[in-house]
Amino acid sequence: MGGSSAAAPATATAPAARARPAARRLPPWLDLDRQFARLAVLPTTVLMLLVFGIPLLFSLYLSFEGWSADKPLFGGDFAGLDNYQDLLTDPAFVGSLGITFAYTAAAVAAELALGLGIALLLNIDLPAINLFRTALIIPMMITPVVAAFCWKLLLDPDHGIVDYLIGSHIIWLGRPDTALVSVAMVNLWQNAPYVAVLLLAGLRSLPSEPIEAAAIDGASRLQVFWHITLPLLRPYIVVALLLRTIFEFRAFDNIYVMTSGGPADATMVLSMFTYLASFVRFDLSLGAAASWMMLLMSMALCGFFIAVIRRREAL
Amino acid sequence: MAAPARVGSRRGRIAFAAAVYAALIALTVVFLFPLVWIIGLSLKTRLQIFAMPPVLLWRPTLQNYAATLGSGDFLLCFWNSLVVASGAVVLSLCVGVPAAYAIARFPFRGRSLLFFGLLAMRMLPPIAVLVPMYILFSKLGLTTTRFSVVLAYTTFSLPLVVWIMRGFFEDLPRELEESAWVDGASRAAAFTHVVLPLIRPGLVAVCILSLQLAWNDFLFAAVLTNNATRTLPVLMAAFSGGDTGVDWGGMTASGVLVILPVIIFSFAAQRHLVAGLSSGAVKG
Repeated sequence: MGGSSAAAPATATAPAARARPAARRLPPWLDLDRQFARLAVLPTTVLMLLVFGIPLLFSLYLSFEGWSADKPLFGGDFAGLDNYQDLLTDPAFVGSLGITFAYTAAAVAAELALGLGIALLLNIDLPAINLFRTALIIPMMITPVVAAFCWKLLLDPDHGIVDYLIGSHIIWLGRPDTALVSVAMVNLWQNAPYVAVLLLAGLRSLPSEPIEAAAIDGASRLQVFWHITLPLLRPYIVVALLLRTIFEFRAFDNIYVMTSGGPADATMVLSMFTYLASFVRFDLSLGAAASWMMLLMSMALCGFFIAVIRRREAL
Repeated sequence: MAAPARVGSRRGRIAFAAAVYAALIALTVVFLFPLVWIIGLSLKTRLQIFAMPPVLLWRPTLQNYAATLGSGDFLLCFWNSLVVASGAVVLSLCVGVPAAYAIARFPFRGRSLLFFGLLAMRMLPPIAVLVPMYILFSKLGLTTTRFSVVLAYTTFSLPLVVWIMRGFFEDLPRELEESAWVDGASRAAAFTHVVLPLIRPGLVAVCILSLQLAWNDFLFAAVLTNNATRTLPVLMAAFSGGDTGVDWGGMTASGVLVILPVIIFSFAAQRHLVAGLSSGAVKG
């Protein structure tokens, strides 16, 4: 590859005939310059296949096999749909489906509501507002495992500050009826700021004319919000909804640290179930089947959101 | 959009501002109290940590930090975290930046397929990739190496790099490279000598954002490392296995030391935070 003269952007008036004389002499497939785009994406494609494509295909294969770690890679016995059948008849898995959907829906709804509230407050131009803008996003920057771990100490029934402040002795993470709610609250604490940052960016980019016009026409704050701000903000809300749904659906770190799926499977989300099946019970075929179920569900979720976005754009 | 600050009478406006400040202060207290309390615990002696009612005024001690930094375990994990996070960032940048450029500038067959693949990589649950990856890596003798973690981290950092850098390349005027091509520069030379220097801010942003993701990851590292190669989040999770034990001072000091670098990174990249957060989202 030639041309080191490119260091300085030159005038665009040079005759087109001078452009890449090498292109004439070589057959196209050997001309590295003409193949530039393909060469540039080659490493990405290879890496993608290596860490993503091949593993996923392998786990699809595995999910139809009876395989264990002592066998060679392709040495399992064909098991048909047995793994999937085992999953769907396993009360722990069926339970985890319900828990995952309930957790995802509740967590996302709460994050969006609180995040929107925070974004609206942070969007009001008052002195020192930047101080709050900075302070309120700190929770989302904290390493999730550390955040969960800190909350485990705060929620400790004997020495934690939370029980001390409310003056009771509730074993938040140790009771089936409070564990999932506690985990979801910690998650809300960490991720509502995430939604707030996204929506605040949206609010800052909205045109000001419609809002000013409505204010001049005598609309109240609530009317302005409901009839003008909210509809204009909808694309940003959809993006936040999509991202948070994707991330809550795969929830793992916080649950692993705070409850590991317990007590009595009360916080057994799908990621946790798949992790325990694969890396604690070492039933990797079952884990593969569970992960393909998760993949299909995430794809369905993404497809649904993309359809919603497309439809909105078509209107 | 400017917020509607000019609605209503003067008294109404003042009352409104007061209400907003009250709400913001309440929120800030709720959101920052846990962190402040944890930092407080890390500066207490064991007796003060478990005292009931809690000690609110005390002479801060750094003994927990000294003990944490004095233990070989923490420093080893810190080093491992640093190595795998920077390894993942370097690998994703070297591989992903040229691809992002090609996607932004040249039409080629399979472009949308590649893009869709990257999107899927970012969107699909990591545990689903990890199960087969663990098997394949262990058959290759890669598990428990830091290299395996670096490879695994590219599943999230590569899409992030390509997505964000594509945006930066698209915002760059085409004329710059075109004039270099006309002058006889090859596409590769125009890319390295003309385009790359111009998007240095983008490279810095994407560097920090993917460093942060890699630093915070727990799942991949938990499965793919052993006691010699584990990263800080794995060490932190090991603290909390089952009972929380009695060394709250050491644990909270470690926690603070883990999150300190990320918070510094995040503020450094605050301008680009939104691009990072929404990367992978369908353009809305």
